Amino acid sequence: MESRRPPPSPFVENYVVPGDVVLDLSEMTNQTIKLGAGLRQECDTIQATSSGKLRLSKPNKYWVESSQKRYTPSVEDTVLGIVVDTKPDNFLVDIKGPNLAFLPVLAFEGGTRRNIPKFEIGTLIYARVVKANSIMNPELSCMDATGKAAEFGQLKDGYMFDTSTGMSRMLLSSPTCPVLEALGKKLSFEIAVGLNGRVWVNAPAPNTVILVSNAIIRSESLSGIKQRAMVENLLQKLT
Amino acid sequence: MSMDQLRWRPTVNERDFIERALQSDLRVDGRNSFDFRTLKITLGREDGTSEVQLGETRVMAYVTAQLVQPYRDRPNEGTLAIFTEFSPMADPAFEAGHPGESAIELGQSPDSCFCNLSIQRCVSMEPNVDCLRFSPLRESRAVDMESLCVVAGKQVWSVRVDLHILDNGGNLIDAANIAALAALSTFRRPECTVGGDDGQQVIVHDPEVRDPIPLTIHHMPIAVTFAYFGEGNIVVLDPTYKEEAVMGGRMTATINSNGDVCAIQKAGGEGVMSGVIMQCLRIASVKAADITSKIKKAVDSYTTEKDLKKVKRLPVSVPQKIHVTDVTMENKGDGELETQTQTAKTPSNVQQISKDPAPMVEASSEEDAQPVTDSSNAEAKSTSNPHGANGESDEAQEIGSPKSLKDAIKPKHKRKKKSGRS
Repeated sequence: MESRRPPPSPFVENYVVPGDVVLDLSEMTNQTIKLGAGLRQECDTIQATSSGKLRLSKPNKYWVESSQKRYTPSVEDTVLGIVVDTKPDNFLVDIKGPNLAFLPVLAFEGGTRRNIPKFEIGTLIYARVVKANSIMNPELSCMDATGKAAEFGQLKDGYMFDTSTGMSRMLLSSPTCPVLEALGKKLSFEIAVGLNGRVWVNAPAPNTVILVSNAIIRSESLSGIKQRAMVENLLQKLT
Repeated sequence: MSMDQLRWRPTVNERDFIERALQSDLRVDGRNSFDFRTLKITLGREDGTSEVQLGETRVMAYVTAQLVQPYRDRPNEGTLAIFTEFSPMADPAFEAGHPGESAIELGQSPDSCFCNLSIQRCVSMEPNVDCLRFSPLRESRAVDMESLCVVAGKQVWSVRVDLHILDNGGNLIDAANIAALAALSTFRRPECTVGGDDGQQVIVHDPEVRDPIPLTIHHMPIAVTFAYFGEGNIVVLDPTYKEEAVMGGRMTATINSNGDVCAIQKAGGEGVMSGVIMQCLRIASVKAADITSKIKKAVDSYTTEKDLKKVKRLPVSVPQKIHVTDVTMENKGDGELETQTQTAKTPSNVQQISKDPAPMVEASSEEDAQPVTDSSNAEAKSTSNPHGANGESDEAQEIGSPKSLKDAIKPKHKRKKKSGRS
């Protein structure tokens, strides 16, 4: 279908604000482009609907990346949610979005009516967004696409804290972000990062958890070198 | 449902972890038990505004004053009222227009240390009860109320402190208290004198004419909040948002730098041993002295900066002499300019008097400006006569202070420049 490579938008890797025309579709026929968060089609143009950095994943995926406290659910994101209420068919989960998300009681590996998990209110859950649109509550699942548990489910113990969505994206990026790399060299801990800006950390000793969480919170606006220096500094205080 | 949905609740994990860490004397933000978070006091560009940042908590305060009739039972005292606004932006749990439980507690807290509204205030949050009514209980009076009286029984200053919660990161009480104190310390009310035909008329002087007067603050009651965990045997200072959600009880001690306890507030929660409270009070008095010095430092640097600005203006006023006379000359011919200058003049009589002699004093050396100044002089005399000695002293001060001279001239100078270009 695609005969020639479309010219990438001039805004790629630049900051856009709502209303910016990112792409002009009239110039590109017979091409498929995929739009992610923060973009929408307006007649023959693609416009930004949120402010942030325009990203392009070759060949044709565009989205706007921003850092905020609020989370807009989108499909295939892994998130950390808090169980708020239990209904016969669904758990109601707070994922920092505009609406509570539904987690069907059967959306667990090998889930049947007989073995519905019991989650008390306030349980922390690592889940995947499977449905997300503006008019319905988002839907979560604790299985990967193949129906396996794949680390999803309840997170026990540990400590959860909130950061921005940009921060959690940085933590998930590869190569490993400098904070986690520096911390991982000296300490052993477990970490789960949700794209909704929630981070869960667990370690045997509480002071390790506190150190790791504070290092992550503080690294938000630091460069790679500064992040390493900050971690060094914190580790020295610990010993 | 909607309210429930908005309220943030800690996860089981956080709850357990915070408590477990506290058992071994660790706090989740890495602080020691009796450490405050970093305190940043920013004083606004204008007098009587402040913004306080305590960790993630941010509170803005601004102070205003107006002349009102005093309460009948206290004819010779001004009033001080504190209003707190909880924006849903600061915390989704705050509902616009409806103060929640914490809001009432907080709204009452700064009051209770300034003029002690105590429980009365709590009740007065009901919409149909007069919010401003003070309880007769006034134990620690930080702001001198009698100095706010202008004419006993007729006119007193009503000082109003507006607190805006910008971000709720926990311990709003302490942050709001510091913000209110900092704003009150820099607040200046316009000077006013009593005169007029019946000797009962109150004249409010323009701040550019007479330097406004700061409030008399006898002492600074500092709120220091402690949170209790476990069975009241784990105590931490300055709880964060998360700690507040987990804590078993809270106590706010309001204490000044001399160690005088002004108020203690403990609304429900776990019982605490009297020994623990005594220990908390000792810690609070140390912290209060520390915070008082921080507020004073911020206020001092603000006032010196403000004073320096006044000094710097002086040399600028020299070349402006020429412009002043020019403006007054043009004033006669240019109708448009005249209306502009008139609208710029404040309606108060006194301001007119004192502004007009200002160019006169400077212009007296310039011969060509003589006729203009003459007329203004006459006007000044005719209006100032009823005030008698008052009006004269006004003029005398005018000549004495170069700052107000310059201030009176500056807008005209600017206007002149604009009209020259167009």
